Amino acid sequence: MSITVNIHQALRQLTNNQATAEVNGTTVGQCLADLVRQFPGIESKLFTKQGKLLNYVDIYVNQESSYPEELAKPVKDGDKLSITLMIAGG
Amino acid sequence: MLTADERERYDRQIMLREIGEEGQEKLKRASVFIAGAGGLGSPAAIYLTAAGIGRIRLVDHDRVDRSNLNRQILHWNNDIGRSKVDSAAEKLKRLNPEVQIEAVNKTITKANLSQLVAGSDLIVDAMDNLETRYLLNKAALDNDIPFFHGAIYGFEGRAMTIIPGKTACLRCVYRGVIPEEKFPVIGVTPAVIGCIQATEVIKYIVGIGELLTDKLLNYDALNMEFTEFKVKKDPYCEHCGHMKRKE
Repeated sequence: MSITVNIHQALRQLTNNQATAEVNGTTVGQCLADLVRQFPGIESKLFTKQGKLLNYVDIYVNQESSYPEELAKPVKDGDKLSITLMIAGG
Repeated sequence: MLTADERERYDRQIMLREIGEEGQEKLKRASVFIAGAGGLGSPAAIYLTAAGIGRIRLVDHDRVDRSNLNRQILHWNNDIGRSKVDSAAEKLKRLNPEVQIEAVNKTITKANLSQLVAGSDLIVDAMDNLETRYLLNKAALDNDIPFFHGAIYGFEGRAMTIIPGKTACLRCVYRGVIPEEKFPVIGVTPAVIGCIQATEVIKYIVGIGELLTDKLLNYDALNMEFTEFKVKKDPYCEHCGHMKRKE
């Protein structure tokens, strides 16, 4: 199972400036866990200490919102995850 | 009815089959509320004024600072220290005296928002913080006014159009809060997003094209990529949902 994760620009300093990463998993949660395994510094930018997704992080699977129950959302080989962060500047 | 001067001024857009004289008259009859006269509000207000919107109410509480001038193109060097809405209104009136520009120098609050948006047909979100965006979203839903969201950060921008009762609202998409902060930005980013918001407003008023509803447009200027993320109306949404989520 290979899933491509698009990393938000603001997080790329934590992924060696990689814009994408290849991860494995059958759910969004497993894929993000694999991403954290590869880039441990990203964990605190995605999750609360209790392991919940931070409320300003949004995950899209093949450009569709995975909300609610994001972490349990199933994914399949070839899917693309996008990690986005809320922005509020004007 | 358009005057002879208006027919001349808007000649090139009246030529558009999608707009024509009928569409131009719709623009003339429309009243648009723009929340914020900064990076997004500047291009949105300029292009809506140029297009011949009948009335624009521009609300902002801030004064022009030198550090605004890299992106807030309605404000120039000699406006530093001046109220943003006065500075903006002066330029907009000079650009198109046919448009009624109402400059409101106020902070948008929960208490005054219904009064501020009263009489407006559309709301443009050109704010710089999420808290006020949520207030605007709720007011738009409560008053059944279409809402045109935009936001930027650095080289990235987002836009989304919300039709109350029909499409996903801002709160369906964003549930969290982020602290108000000094954000990095280069002027070309809000220029693009503000113009997209103005385009959506024009399309909605005239009744043409496909709107950015149920999708969040993401603009990545560094890679010059536009991505549409599909979003859905959330039945449990705090602002527009009809169901209550179990705690």
